Amino acid sequence: MTKTVVYVCPYVPAEWVAAHGLHPSRITPRAAGLAGAVGRIEGVCPYVRGFINEVITSTEACAVLVTTVCDQMRRAFDVIARRSGAPVFLMNVANTWQNVAVQKLYIDELKRLGRFLAALGGEAPSTEALAEIMLKYDTARKSMLAARDYLTSRQYSQMIAEFGRGCDCDIAKGVTGSKLIANNGVPLAVIGGPLLKEDFGLFDTVEDAGGRIVLDATETGERGLCAAFDRRRVRDEPVIELCEAYFMGIADASRRPNSRLYDWLGRELASRGARGIIFRRYVWCDIWHAELRRLQEWSNLPVLDIDVTGDEQCLPVRTAHRIRTFLEMLQ
Amino acid sequence: MNSQPRQITLKEWDGHYERLRRAGLREPDYGGPISRHVEEGDYRLLRLRYDNSAASLRLWNFLLTEEERLHRARAEGKKIVGTMKDLGTVPVMAYSLDNVVAFYPDGAWWIPCVMELSAGLLTIADSLGIDESFCPVRAMLGAFVTGAHFPIPDRLICSVGATCDDFSAIAQRLDSLGYSIFWWEIPHRRRPEPDEAAVKLPGGFSAPRCQVEFVKSELERVKSALEELAGQHLDEKRFSKGVKKANRVRRYLDELRQLVFTAEVCPMPALEMLIAEMLAIHFCSDRDETIIVLRDLVDEVKRRVQAGQGVLPAEAARIFWVNPVADLQVMNLLEDCGGRICGTEYLFSHALDRIPEDLPPAEALARTALADPMAGSAVDRAERICADIGRFGAEAVLISRIPGASHCALEGEIIGDIVADNLGVPVLEIEVPPVADSVRASLRTRLEALVETIRERRQR
Repeated sequence: MTKTVVYVCPYVPAEWVAAHGLHPSRITPRAAGLAGAVGRIEGVCPYVRGFINEVITSTEACAVLVTTVCDQMRRAFDVIARRSGAPVFLMNVANTWQNVAVQKLYIDELKRLGRFLAALGGEAPSTEALAEIMLKYDTARKSMLAARDYLTSRQYSQMIAEFGRGCDCDIAKGVTGSKLIANNGVPLAVIGGPLLKEDFGLFDTVEDAGGRIVLDATETGERGLCAAFDRRRVRDEPVIELCEAYFMGIADASRRPNSRLYDWLGRELASRGARGIIFRRYVWCDIWHAELRRLQEWSNLPVLDIDVTGDEQCLPVRTAHRIRTFLEMLQ
Repeated sequence: MNSQPRQITLKEWDGHYERLRRAGLREPDYGGPISRHVEEGDYRLLRLRYDNSAASLRLWNFLLTEEERLHRARAEGKKIVGTMKDLGTVPVMAYSLDNVVAFYPDGAWWIPCVMELSAGLLTIADSLGIDESFCPVRAMLGAFVTGAHFPIPDRLICSVGATCDDFSAIAQRLDSLGYSIFWWEIPHRRRPEPDEAAVKLPGGFSAPRCQVEFVKSELERVKSALEELAGQHLDEKRFSKGVKKANRVRRYLDELRQLVFTAEVCPMPALEMLIAEMLAIHFCSDRDETIIVLRDLVDEVKRRVQAGQGVLPAEAARIFWVNPVADLQVMNLLEDCGGRICGTEYLFSHALDRIPEDLPPAEALARTALADPMAGSAVDRAERICADIGRFGAEAVLISRIPGASHCALEGEIIGDIVADNLGVPVLEIEVPPVADSVRASLRTRLEALVETIRERRQR
């Protein structure tokens, strides 16, 4: 049975893990609630708590990958390394991106990750084998993106999340042949960090209130997908192409400067015709929280701030009320 | 005039100052009674207790006149660099150039405390979407917007990567407001793998050679930016001279810390020691004067140690302090509760470690930058704290959480566990807001409990 390596960060290329003969599983953690492996609750990002809890109790993981993209995840590595029986790897993903040195650092880190995967029983792939897997994943991502109009917004976002977890390249097969989804709700975008497993109800809540999510710009959604590969370069220099598509291709609030996030949002919000933005953030996530006011100033769309702690039983009701009011204003 | 060492109030300082003057006190041009700074809005000074030495007077006046120095530097045509987050690295390069003055806008995090929230900086940060869920360093945003606390720098240089999210996010917000930032990357320091070339860093950590090379290349970018700003080439000779000067500061601090933390009777209060340590990061905008201020402190402490004199009872509980406090008054509070500081880790221990002088300066500075406690794991930090506890003989560890700081949420528990496991000493975690008056009673209870625990352990 193929060994499973779990992670959550979009900057980890699943293709690289898979090419080493291991199963990459980009999980969507459950909320840790008030219990969980982390003793402290105040100040700790609910998503980080959920992630720590999930991997420490995981029975499927033969190893855990963590990245340095955010400070609390970087600290989570220390906690997991001390409490989990599985080997843990911390991948250095730079926040800056605009010079060759940091791009080379990313590639060096991929190579170091490769050695870690080899130590788990994996095998370094040939250029051809890596290219083959990359093309397969690229095709799967394209068919997934093409399936958007044939699925509800929840189905679509869950499919993206599910693809990360299972890396099933046939995940969208047959979807595009089905009936187009008709929804005349107010088009909205959801923007923010990653979602917890319990959070997909947000899409239903929006639809129930007369809206529809036309852009899932959370880390779990479309924004967390790497850029399409340059298929010719995949054959010649697959590792460089991984760097290009992942490290350079994923727009995130954590980048310094994070101007590319706004470039990406500008394009996508316009092309989807979004009329409003749901800004979803965790209470202790400074990286996203700091973007809220800027987003409000930058965008000419109304922005609804939804802060979540991942611990509150009443949260779905509170969130539903706020979304309903927001949509009443837009209708 | 040599007085018996003791801690005095600001009011007492006024009278004491006059007596010192009559006795022939010689002061630099920024000298004067400390109380004059209250008129500028530094109201917290009224509530602090101070060491009564002339050396301490000079230290306080040096600290509280930095803004004037920066304005004077601008008026003299010098270039002003706002170095952010790296706490001790970029200023070593900047001060190696003739016409550059570097300071940390991050230091604005103490303004809400020193001015007892009267400056309104946190309110401005609120209005920019950076509320109280962020670290008090958000006051920096207000300081930029008002322009009332330091001249707006000619260049802003900020380290990101293995830093805290609060600062990174706030700096990004600043950038989005039109204050353009030069970003440089500090990678997460990791331990070398078995087949990797390793480099020993100042302070005892080690890192893979490739990480040192990476930081060196990032610092080369910073150096070019500084050279462009200064219109001057920073050659190796000049750079090495800058490193040597920075090391003079670090040597004095090392001597001061060793003397104060290991003396039988505490010869210098915690508050003055905190301020003295802070001078290491950017020399309070005057490197040469920093050396004189520290030299005076060392001389004063030596005199006191030789005379067996101190400012606290000999039986004071010996406590190692982790992280800087947002409210300076809490350093006094610890002493009120029967404690004294014997060892510190204020998140800039890399600014206290000697920069290797037997290496090319860029390599030496890269190694020092990578030794930043913030850049590595909490496990590394805990191990260094354990080593320093051994050096200074502390009996307990106090971890002072910074409200809202991204790193404090998880690392305190790890540091506490490792220290308790390795050394078996008590560990207490507290959280200190910029003005801690409202939580003073509960802080006092917790600090007293720690001191009592130490005393009880002594009797076993």
